[in-house]
Amino acid sequence: MVDPVVPVVPPFVPVLLAALLLPFLGRRAGHLLGIVATGVVVPYVWLTPAGQHLPVRLFGFDAVLYNVDPFSTLMGLIFGFIGAVGVLYSWYSKAPSLQTAFALSYVGTSLGAVFGGDWLSLIFFWELMAVTSTLLVWHYGGRAVRAGYRYALLHGIGGTLLLGAVVWHYVEVGSFLFTAAEAGMAGTVAPVLAAVGIGVNVGFVGLHAWLPDTYPRPHIAASVFLCVFTTKTGVYGMYRAFPEGNVAIAYMGGLMAVFGATYALFQNDMRRLLSYHIQSQVGYMVAAVGIGTTLAQSGAMAHVFNHILYKGLLFMAAGVVIYRTGTESLKKLGGLGREMPLTAVSFAVAALSIAGFPLFNGFVSKGIIISASHYDFPAGPFAVGDFHTLELLLLIGGVGTFLSFIKFGYYAFLHGESDRNVADANVGQSVAMVSVAVLCVFFGVFDSALFALLPYDVTTEQVVSHAYVTYTVGHVLEGLALAAIGLVGFVLIKKPLSSVGRVPDVDSLYNPAALYGSRAVVVGITELYAAVDRAAVRTARVITDAVNDPETVLKRSTSRDSVQLRADIGTSVALVTLVVLSAFALMFV
Amino acid sequence: MSELPPFLVAVPLLGSVLALLAGLARSRTGWAVAAVTAVLQTALAVVLAVRAFSGDPIRYVVGGFTAPFGIELVIDGLSATMAVLVAVVALGVLGYARVAGPRSNAFYATYLLLVAGLSGMSITGDVFNMYVFLEITGLAAYALVASGESGRSARAALKYLLVGTVGASLFLLGIGFAYVATGTLNMADLSGQLAEVGHGSPLVQASFALLAVGLFVKIAVFPIHTWQPAAYAGAPDSVSALISALVSTIAAYALIRIVFTVFTVDFLVANSFARTLLIAAAIVSIVVGSVLAVTQQEIKRMLAYSSVSQFGLVVGAVAVANGTALTGAVIHLVGHAIMKGGLFLTTGLVANVADARTVDDYRGLAERFPVGSVAFGVLALAMVGVPPAVGFVGKWYIALGAVEAGAWPLVVVILVSTLLTLAYFAQVIERIFFRESDAASAASAETTTDETLFTDGNGADTDRPSVSFGMRATVLLAAVLAVALGVAAFEYGQLLQPTIERLLV
Repeated sequence: MVDPVVPVVPPFVPVLLAALLLPFLGRRAGHLLGIVATGVVVPYVWLTPAGQHLPVRLFGFDAVLYNVDPFSTLMGLIFGFIGAVGVLYSWYSKAPSLQTAFALSYVGTSLGAVFGGDWLSLIFFWELMAVTSTLLVWHYGGRAVRAGYRYALLHGIGGTLLLGAVVWHYVEVGSFLFTAAEAGMAGTVAPVLAAVGIGVNVGFVGLHAWLPDTYPRPHIAASVFLCVFTTKTGVYGMYRAFPEGNVAIAYMGGLMAVFGATYALFQNDMRRLLSYHIQSQVGYMVAAVGIGTTLAQSGAMAHVFNHILYKGLLFMAAGVVIYRTGTESLKKLGGLGREMPLTAVSFAVAALSIAGFPLFNGFVSKGIIISASHYDFPAGPFAVGDFHTLELLLLIGGVGTFLSFIKFGYYAFLHGESDRNVADANVGQSVAMVSVAVLCVFFGVFDSALFALLPYDVTTEQVVSHAYVTYTVGHVLEGLALAAIGLVGFVLIKKPLSSVGRVPDVDSLYNPAALYGSRAVVVGITELYAAVDRAAVRTARVITDAVNDPETVLKRSTSRDSVQLRADIGTSVALVTLVVLSAFALMFV
Repeated sequence: MSELPPFLVAVPLLGSVLALLAGLARSRTGWAVAAVTAVLQTALAVVLAVRAFSGDPIRYVVGGFTAPFGIELVIDGLSATMAVLVAVVALGVLGYARVAGPRSNAFYATYLLLVAGLSGMSITGDVFNMYVFLEITGLAAYALVASGESGRSARAALKYLLVGTVGASLFLLGIGFAYVATGTLNMADLSGQLAEVGHGSPLVQASFALLAVGLFVKIAVFPIHTWQPAAYAGAPDSVSALISALVSTIAAYALIRIVFTVFTVDFLVANSFARTLLIAAAIVSIVVGSVLAVTQQEIKRMLAYSSVSQFGLVVGAVAVANGTALTGAVIHLVGHAIMKGGLFLTTGLVANVADARTVDDYRGLAERFPVGSVAFGVLALAMVGVPPAVGFVGKWYIALGAVEAGAWPLVVVILVSTLLTLAYFAQVIERIFFRESDAASAASAETTTDETLFTDGNGADTDRPSVSFGMRATVLLAAVLAVALGVAAFEYGQLLQPTIERLLV
């Protein structure tokens, strides 16, 4: 055993430093530094012993900057790895240095968020993530700017809700530290606020529109980063807020799985399709966090880990296609399998992983979650036979995933002949994709390697309710059945699907609502202000008139010809007399 | 040395006669006589004040008739303060009046007569004697107001004369009632005797009501203030400054004397009507005075109404009748005299330099006449009660006293009055410092029509007195004093403590 590394720096420091230096180093040196800085996080995190390191006073409160437990370690490992791969991919995808610097700052703040040992540092980095990711989107310019604006707006709202939850939590508990409240968000209001606030980040149905809106728009390398950090940090935050699970959140996860997969099916823009799948896949994780047992939480973390691999790979593959063809739409692509075999194979690996085909990593982690939904969760209202409600939702999501990735693969790589000659991925892109693809297969075949990373040992009944074995006949059959249903289904719906146009999502409802709503508010406030202003001016004018020319005002109001306001001598003496009389009157009252 | 007190009255009285006689020999000698007299008077007052503050009150029996039968002069901290105030303000205004005028010897004779009357009121320990001095003061003041050249002055003086005389008569009537009830006129003696007769006796109550209303006229409490704006606005600037600073002040001092030395706090406690009368007068004066001040266009009238409101504060403090409020009342009397006197002098100065007499005339004054503008600004802010100026300290003590006594309506009114004071001064300050003068645009026209101004201007323009160093110095000194006294006022409040305690016994 190597001596435990004495942690003196939290993992986000080297990454953020690299982000600062990168724009000034030149492309090559800068990206190399970025790869090293993120890559070094992997062993560093791996070797840091569990516990709370670097306790500090943040804004006058107790905070922990480097909190190491199995959950944060797993997040740190995969974040570091995919960060390094992403920088490599950026380097070879002609990403500007500044964009990579933004991406690195995004990686760094995400690392800060997952290693924060308290709500204060979590929310601090959480908000910074929103800022840095917005910058990453904005940097691309063009259509990305408006999408980035909507993204920033929604995440601002989400972050504020979470901040409210954190404050409320602090009032209840008296400390920001995770260790102070083992049951997560305390009180009655904080959990609701936290669920909605984090719900924005993980893409709750209804709050998810930013995902397919934002992720297809920026640079292809930026999408690789974006698909990884925000939603996964959200899942992690959801676990911290609800370490004991929550039924409503579990069902929301199931809905997300189905909703995202269904909408993905209708998409023709590659990255938009993938974005809906993020929602769908995160739905599995959210469902697992909602179930809240050790098995489910392990499944959630395993799925986070695997998802980052294959979703990164998917975005890289889609990115290469866009990089080489300049086309985003599946309708304009086809037959690329022969032109770019490496990309096609990488895509196939990733697609089989995400769909949960046996021998690929998605199969392992999705299996854990589905078995948790079966063994650790009540049957629910719509149980069919032995299948519980949540389990059914997750399985349906799985079918949808198969369907949409068959669609993706078919139209991009198989369907027809390519009308153009395009090169395959370049060296760096290939290295990035192949290394991730290898891992996807590796963790699929050697599932015990994945299990070793998980917070709880899922293979023994002492820790989990139902010991999990990946490759049982039932499981494999289930996986194959889903694939078969997906294949048959695709053949059946291929025709009608191709005639479906753009399917409206909730954002087609709330974007205009927000526009006209805010316009109404602005007009309303302006008009109200104008009305108040008019009233104030009128009142002021009346008063000024009365003050400046009391005689005229009195004349008008009493309709007398002349009004003498200044007392003459007689009146004065009369007044004196009156005062004396009233003084006497007072005396006898 | 114990023979000094009567000289406080005798010196200005002699000076007055001397000025008149000197005028027979040579005209325009009045100022010199008055100046010498005022310096002497000031020295005398300071010496007596030092003694009064360092021990028991100084008592002097006039003509060898022992009190309570003879006339007694009593100088305690309060009287000494008033005597010094009278002497210093008289001296200061003289500094201004040398060039500003009026210059006749008769004027200075009257001027010194007023000083004699005011000093007499301050130090007398006998109510009838106080009435006599009140009349002297009044007559001198009427004459001074009439010394202006315009018909307006004469009318104002006539109004002042008639209303003032009614007030003085009521005061005399009140003294008569008290005499009927007790058979004595000495203040100290009266307080004991009145208590023996009984504070509930209608005779005593009526006496209080008459004395209070009589003094209200002199103080110019709303609604019997009507003589005051006319008098202040109609009189020459020097006179406005002198009477605004002193006449109402000494009348208010007389009210404090009558209420606390003659009738005592016990009377106030026994008669809720007395307190109601005072509180009502105070509140109405403060609010209505301020509101009327806001509506004025002419600066001098605005300042006059401001006095109505400020003396409302003092009357309020008398009604509160505790140590803190009374300390505040005395400080505010002194502070108001300096500030209001200074403001009237500044107004006169501005009228001479920039020919500005209305609020609108003051537009852009800061460019035309920076010295006057700054002085006006400082004095006005001091009057509003911006710390550390003396206006703040007085108001602070009065408000604090009102809080201690739980007189919440008065507290609210005091706070509101600060806002109202700000309202009428802010409009002037805003015009002085933040508006473009339309005279600036008219100035180019004026340079071309300069000649014609003399031919078709109203004659006053031609013999408009020049502005002397003394005039500027006096105004600036008032502004400096308004701030400096604020710093010293807390110290002075401590010094006044024994006097106030004696009053409240």
